[in-house]
Amino acid sequence: MKHGIILKSDMDQWFDSLKKRGKVYGPKKKESAFVFGLVHAFKEMSLSYIPTILPPKKYYLPPKESLFKFKIKPYEAAKATTAFEEFILFGVHTCDIAGIQCMDVIFNENPADPNYLSRKEKITIIGIECLDYCDSYATCASVGTHIHKGGYDIMLTDLGTAYLVHINSEKGEHLIKGKKYIRELDLETRKKWDKIIEEKNKKFKNEFKAELPEVSKVFEEGFFSPVWEDVGKRCVGCTNCTAVCPTCYCFDVIDDVSLNLSDGERSRVWSYCQMDDFARVATGEDFRPGRGPRQRHRYFRKFKYSVLKYNKYFCTGCGRCTRTCMAKISLKETVNGLLDEKRGKG
Amino acid sequence: MPKSKPRVAFFEFTDCEGCQLQVANLGLSLLELTKVVDIVNFREIMSEQGKNYDVLVVEGSISSKHDEERLRAIAAKAKVIVALGACATTGGVNNLKNLKSLEEQKKSVYGNVIDPVPDALPTRAIDEIVKVDYYIHGCPIYGPEFLKVMECILLGKPYKVPQYPVCVECKQNENICVYEKGLFCLGPVTRAGCNSWLPNYGNVCVGCRGLIDNPAANAQKDILEKYGLTVDEILEKFSLYCAGKKDRAKYEKEIKK
Amino acid sequence: MSADQDPKDILKNMPYEPMQAKIIESHPLTEWERFFRIKLDNKKELGHMPGQFVQVSLFGQGEAPISICSSPTEKGFFDLTVRRIDSGSVTPALHRLKKGDVVGIRGPFGSSFPLDKMQGNDILIVAGGLGIVPLRSLIHYILDKRKDFGQVHILCGCKTPKDMLYGDEISTWEKRADISFQCTVDRADPDWKGNVGLITGLIPGVTLSLKKTYAVVVGPPVMYKFVIIELIKKNIPENQIIVSLERKMRCGLGKCGHCQIRNVYVCQKGPVFTLVDLKEMEGECHEGECRAK
Repeated sequence: MKHGIILKSDMDQWFDSLKKRGKVYGPKKKESAFVFGLVHAFKEMSLSYIPTILPPKKYYLPPKESLFKFKIKPYEAAKATTAFEEFILFGVHTCDIAGIQCMDVIFNENPADPNYLSRKEKITIIGIECLDYCDSYATCASVGTHIHKGGYDIMLTDLGTAYLVHINSEKGEHLIKGKKYIRELDLETRKKWDKIIEEKNKKFKNEFKAELPEVSKVFEEGFFSPVWEDVGKRCVGCTNCTAVCPTCYCFDVIDDVSLNLSDGERSRVWSYCQMDDFARVATGEDFRPGRGPRQRHRYFRKFKYSVLKYNKYFCTGCGRCTRTCMAKISLKETVNGLLDEKRGKG
Repeated sequence: MPKSKPRVAFFEFTDCEGCQLQVANLGLSLLELTKVVDIVNFREIMSEQGKNYDVLVVEGSISSKHDEERLRAIAAKAKVIVALGACATTGGVNNLKNLKSLEEQKKSVYGNVIDPVPDALPTRAIDEIVKVDYYIHGCPIYGPEFLKVMECILLGKPYKVPQYPVCVECKQNENICVYEKGLFCLGPVTRAGCNSWLPNYGNVCVGCRGLIDNPAANAQKDILEKYGLTVDEILEKFSLYCAGKKDRAKYEKEIKK
Repeated sequence: MSADQDPKDILKNMPYEPMQAKIIESHPLTEWERFFRIKLDNKKELGHMPGQFVQVSLFGQGEAPISICSSPTEKGFFDLTVRRIDSGSVTPALHRLKKGDVVGIRGPFGSSFPLDKMQGNDILIVAGGLGIVPLRSLIHYILDKRKDFGQVHILCGCKTPKDMLYGDEISTWEKRADISFQCTVDRADPDWKGNVGLITGLIPGVTLSLKKTYAVVVGPPVMYKFVIIELIKKNIPENQIIVSLERKMRCGLGKCGHCQIRNVYVCQKGPVFTLVDLKEMEGECHEGECRAK
């Protein structure tokens, strides 16, 4: 089966069957926002949600992740942990799935990263399609991530009283196998689905003032643009934009030693290019001083460097950086600012 | 394991001893620690008083001539000096005393009686008198950070106080930004290391760990003004914990422009 | 999406785990720098080329990127020179270690001096301060394969005579007839008999043959700008001016992001670059590293 239908009233029992496979993490309400968390019952989740504070990245590139254990005396490096638990990410937006696909590129690149890849292998991703904008900060249409392009095992589309279940992998197939309440897509529902998608497509419009190739071009020419100076003046350096980004993967490496002063662990921890000492070497020289150049670097890593290296935009349009910025630095405005500047000149 | 356990002594000056209480409250971890160090002086948990020690942990700020002399004397015997808590690391709330002249402050506190503290001096952080090797910021200190610093001392490596703001930890804890609730928080300019203790419980950061090295005071000012705060109100918020010499230098020039 | 490689192979590849190695010799060079000779426990050669670096690992303290200062022509060991930085963890701890102590090594990482292109050409080496460390690897290599290269000029500068590294070796280089060697200090002491002044002052005096010359420059960021101006005056083409850049290298695997200059990961594409490469990184290079406009 490639496309199935499940009634919303059957979601509880399907969800309970998923729990047998492993822990399930899904979007839950937290005050005025949403976060991914451990879910025990289907009703705990809020499937209609604004992107969570942190992307599901926290599960496949944890904020602090053990690389290996060691003993100081006698010297010994134990093998890294590579056995990870199976788990399911439920209700992942297509923008966040695009984020996972970006990470896959990075950590598959030679030398491949065993931690990430082993962890990633154990994840089952059940996505949920967005049928409208979550809020005005999202720029998913500009990068085309409002439409799913693989990277998931199952995709759910809300059809009103039921969900369309798109099975995209063997893992996904496994999750619906033998479930009598998930039936094959019929012609009538297919028509309904087509209509819903037609409606959806009317709602999403490129949020940038130009198409991506032109955006990439203004980045090429805009390294010394005054836009960055302006952004730098407003930036407080809180680092939130990089903390919440689904495609930021920079890290630092730290050692922790237990109080017996011999057993320890080397871990990688999230580190952000917006941090004051990110590019500062031991002798004190800071190779990227100032908040303007740091913000520029963040943008270039999303719209230029990744395109040069992987032919891929590393902005997923999720809108988190804009949503979280207390200085109201907006990704949409920054990119459009670059475009305006170029057009003004031209 | 070192051959002989390093001896650790706790001393206090102008403070509330709340930071030592945080250490006393570490429970099992404190017992673990005593396997690798000898605590020879710590009046909150023991009555014995050892005269010799290797690691000196000082809580409190220096606010009298007597304090200063005593600190010099106890520091002379130590191999490693640790400043414990905001009072010791930056002067903490005791810096409020320095906002007015000593005479004015004495008058407002003691009235017209005979001066009960004739040797009082303006408040100072302990590093204005002795060289400090390790800083444990906070009011009070954050227990796990104390243990991390002990680990560093025992391994003979420096402890790097985080140079990033509290927001880093707050965001990793997925707290709702208190600015979204219309509250005013010093997190964006305050040194991390407390695991965003206050925001985790829905409170605002009050800056007790002191300011990061390069706070964007000016950008911060713009934001706060958007939230309806005046420069004076902002400075008042800073003054609770960040009125010490070093912290003032980080924001005053920029923010008063 | 699954990995390109067989998962089993990936698990064998543990890029963060250091190889075990032993210090077989160690002595101080100056007040701040110490020399280490290191042997890998698995008896294998490190397999590096001049210009590359390793991550030296001390469990509990952390890791630090250190240039290799011996040549791959020297077998059975490799050498490191480490400056002690007291605000850090690794280098002071490394300085406390003795012969026989264990360290962890990852690497070698990064690009090397383009020896294949340099062969058959004249070589001008300009070393400022600690820059002599990676260049010692190149100098040893060239001296061991002297016939493969044309004329060799070495210019070396440091702040004071006390900061001079590898003094004994330098006096043998000075005596050799098949290379020209000059040394200068910013500030002399009464015993100093050599040149006094900036290293840039030595460049105009070097007579370069009409054959192709490769200039290799390593030093502190501020030095590059002025040295490069002098080299361009000598008509050395930009793709034959080679530099090595310092950056914060944490993982060595092109992942952690700290060493990035624009789209370049210095730990992989660098630390050795040509002046042509540097121009592509304009705006994120240190002012000193990029040529004055």
